Amino acid sequence: MASLLTLALISELRGIVGERGLITAANQLQTYECDGLTAFRIPPLAVLLPESTKQVQGILRICDRERIPFVGRGAGTGLSGGALPSENSLVISLARMNRILNIDIPNQQITVQPGVINANVTAAVSPQGYFYAPDPSSQTVCSIGGNIAENAGGAHCLKYGFTVTHILELTVVLPNGDIATFGSKTLDTPGYDLSGVFVGSEGTLGIATEATLRIVRKPETIQVILAAFDTISSAAQSVSDVIASGLLPAAMEIMDRLSIEAAEISVHPNYPSCEALLLIELDGPEVEVNLQMTSVIEICKKNAAWETRLAVDEKARFLVWKGRKAAFAAAGRLSPNYIVQDGVIPRTSLPTVLQQLNAMAAKEGLRVTNVFHAGDGNLHPIVLYDRDNPGEEERAIDLSLRILEVCVQAGGSITGEHGVGREKQCSMSYMFADPDLETMQRVRRAFDPLNLANPEKIFPTPRLCGERSRGAYAPHPIETSGIAEVF
Amino acid sequence: MPLCPTAWISEAADELGEIISPLGPENQEAIVASPSDTAQVAAVLSFAKKRKLTVNPAGGGTKQQWGRGGVPQIYLSLARLNRVIEHPWQDLTCSVQAGCIWTNLQRVLAIQGQFVALDPLFPKRATVGGILAANDSGTLRHRYGSLRDLVIGMTLVLADGTIVKAGGKVVKNVAGYDLPKLLTGSLGTLAVITQANFRLHSLPRYTQVFMVAAPHVLRFQALLNEIRASHLITQALYVSVSEQQTQLTIALDAHPEAHQDAILRDMIQREGLVLEEASADGWAVLREALFVPEATVLRISTLPIQVCQFLDYLQRTNQRIDIRSVSLAIGLHWVAMRGSAEKIRELVCELRSNRDYRGLTVSVLQAGSGVEIEAFDLPDSTLDVMRAIKAQFDADNILNPGKYFS
Repeated sequence: MASLLTLALISELRGIVGERGLITAANQLQTYECDGLTAFRIPPLAVLLPESTKQVQGILRICDRERIPFVGRGAGTGLSGGALPSENSLVISLARMNRILNIDIPNQQITVQPGVINANVTAAVSPQGYFYAPDPSSQTVCSIGGNIAENAGGAHCLKYGFTVTHILELTVVLPNGDIATFGSKTLDTPGYDLSGVFVGSEGTLGIATEATLRIVRKPETIQVILAAFDTISSAAQSVSDVIASGLLPAAMEIMDRLSIEAAEISVHPNYPSCEALLLIELDGPEVEVNLQMTSVIEICKKNAAWETRLAVDEKARFLVWKGRKAAFAAAGRLSPNYIVQDGVIPRTSLPTVLQQLNAMAAKEGLRVTNVFHAGDGNLHPIVLYDRDNPGEEERAIDLSLRILEVCVQAGGSITGEHGVGREKQCSMSYMFADPDLETMQRVRRAFDPLNLANPEKIFPTPRLCGERSRGAYAPHPIETSGIAEVF
Repeated sequence: MPLCPTAWISEAADELGEIISPLGPENQEAIVASPSDTAQVAAVLSFAKKRKLTVNPAGGGTKQQWGRGGVPQIYLSLARLNRVIEHPWQDLTCSVQAGCIWTNLQRVLAIQGQFVALDPLFPKRATVGGILAANDSGTLRHRYGSLRDLVIGMTLVLADGTIVKAGGKVVKNVAGYDLPKLLTGSLGTLAVITQANFRLHSLPRYTQVFMVAAPHVLRFQALLNEIRASHLITQALYVSVSEQQTQLTIALDAHPEAHQDAILRDMIQREGLVLEEASADGWAVLREALFVPEATVLRISTLPIQVCQFLDYLQRTNQRIDIRSVSLAIGLHWVAMRGSAEKIRELVCELRSNRDYRGLTVSVLQAGSGVEIEAFDLPDSTLDVMRAIKAQFDADNILNPGKYFS
């Protein structure tokens, strides 16, 4: 491995990032061998910690010249192995590019470096009455650069949209080292929507070194209702009924008994003890929120909610959300190891899909707890297992991937916000046929003809996935008869 | 001249049969293809690819003049792909074929009290696919965002005839690259959109529309800033300027008991202006009126806080050009200019080199007669990537050649 990184190259890289910006010692490299998905680990050749766009450019020029693959890394909180190093790759950590560059309240935007922590964006504009809407559960530790790579969501994207909705302009260092500006501080930049396709590309199209984000006016009032149900189905039905009534809550979340218990042990949110807990947050003008909350409570009661508890003041709401956002980490209280999945289904198939998942888990003899963004059908089944039990990790991984298949069969997606990364690249073939994937590769080749930017992610490869056996695509008769060809 | 069709046309007739028809006696060099499903679109493109024929995908034909484009050999009409495929209203999504007229789609969705939250140009003639290809939007953008925030999936046919599914049918989906966003606004240069899936919203229930007149546009900027920074649920917020009048339109959508109209009225009064009730269709009337045949119509972006300052500059800068405009408070302007072609060209060049307005971009949607000017001012740093994408998707440059790049 070391042969790839000659002393001359190391010295050239050190010349760009300085002594402090280069890590080559094996014990220090360990920190970077995985992200939040710890089941996969590969040590990088070296880690670079650039402090400017120019330094990133210098590094990528060398990678381009020497054909060295590179993997961008934010805070390393990703759950799909997106920041997992490739064999013989350099990891470029953006952690030191963590400055807020400009706050522009009148135009409702803020410009930040990629290493800025998500929650710090809101903290920076909160005194002026604004917030940054995308709020992944890891928001107190995850970085904006990582959010851009994954198109991170969060509980509030039901109403406010995802990371991509909030990106106005990006400074991007392309894999060949060129610096480009995607989008603009104003709307509708002429030409192709490059920031639209870059956001969520999981570090495979280049490295964003600066981002101008849209910030949102804080609502006049926020209220959260906690409703306790005896079954997940009745909680899910309430969600459907709320949507059918024409309301658009800021968030709608469901937690099952296991995850409620885990949250309780972990951060003591004082949730009611029940089979299914539904959290609904409404925001807007006070009078309107009051009226809407009355109908939400009616809907919950109609669906047999036996307790409804309103959290209005900030402290009470904070505690409610703390419990929900701690759910993944709290799974560690239930089991030594766990896998968080991220499948999406059409909202209306929630009850049937959940039944299916429970049956699958029971058959496998594994426990699966569920915390999900019910409003947009984004499930987070958490498969609990113990690595020390022989074969259990394999069965857990297998179950978690079969859950994704069920989601796709229901008309959904294998990932709503965590990204494909390394974890789900073989599952891409559940969702997309070869021509669909090949079309994405065209985009990739346009940005990165040498395939150096985070290679071996997103797309299924024969080496990792074997020959494909499934696919959403069935050839049309016009193809079989030779009138049209599929390449 | 003898009426002898070129060889490829008779070949097309053999291969594509009833899908194609002649364009008319005045044009013997081109055909119209009217496929009725995605597979037939693929057949047309495969044929075009084989013979290296240029193709112009067309919906309602309302925005074909956007961008430069040569005369194609195949006009690919999507008009027969006009069905709403499904509307699972409880999932707040829909799937619709690209040739469906916008108002026809909205009429179906309205049965369940829902809509695609977008108010594009010429909705009675424009199609879903054309609106997507042109990335058109209107006042609703203020509240709901643009098409890139609403489209969740597409069926595409690539220039080589490959049928591709992009995105999906659920609102939240980060599996792979977001091709629907790349295709939105690509002006038919990358692939032909044959079907689209949208996320939907409930129809607004409490819309109240107001207008305020002022002697001069600069009177509005403080008010715009105040409204944008307020808690008003603003559905639309735009300024229209013509020789006859300068007015601000505000649409609110809050429950009547929230009394947001009273809050608004106070704001307006503090500015010394008067709030009046207005009609809901003012936006469509004002904006569509800009697109008269002789006008040069521009789409211009500025920062939100420079909207009125920019409009003032525009009015003052060349008084021999008749200028009308409608401008969203978020910084999007549609501007119609009439007058000397040379003066208009000079003004567009001046705007494009103006550095007083950060992020100012000027696109020529419709050039008046004699106005010779680049339609789009593509940012230099992105040109290589855009060209590379075009080359990857359409190596032979058969789809709308020249729209973005010569």
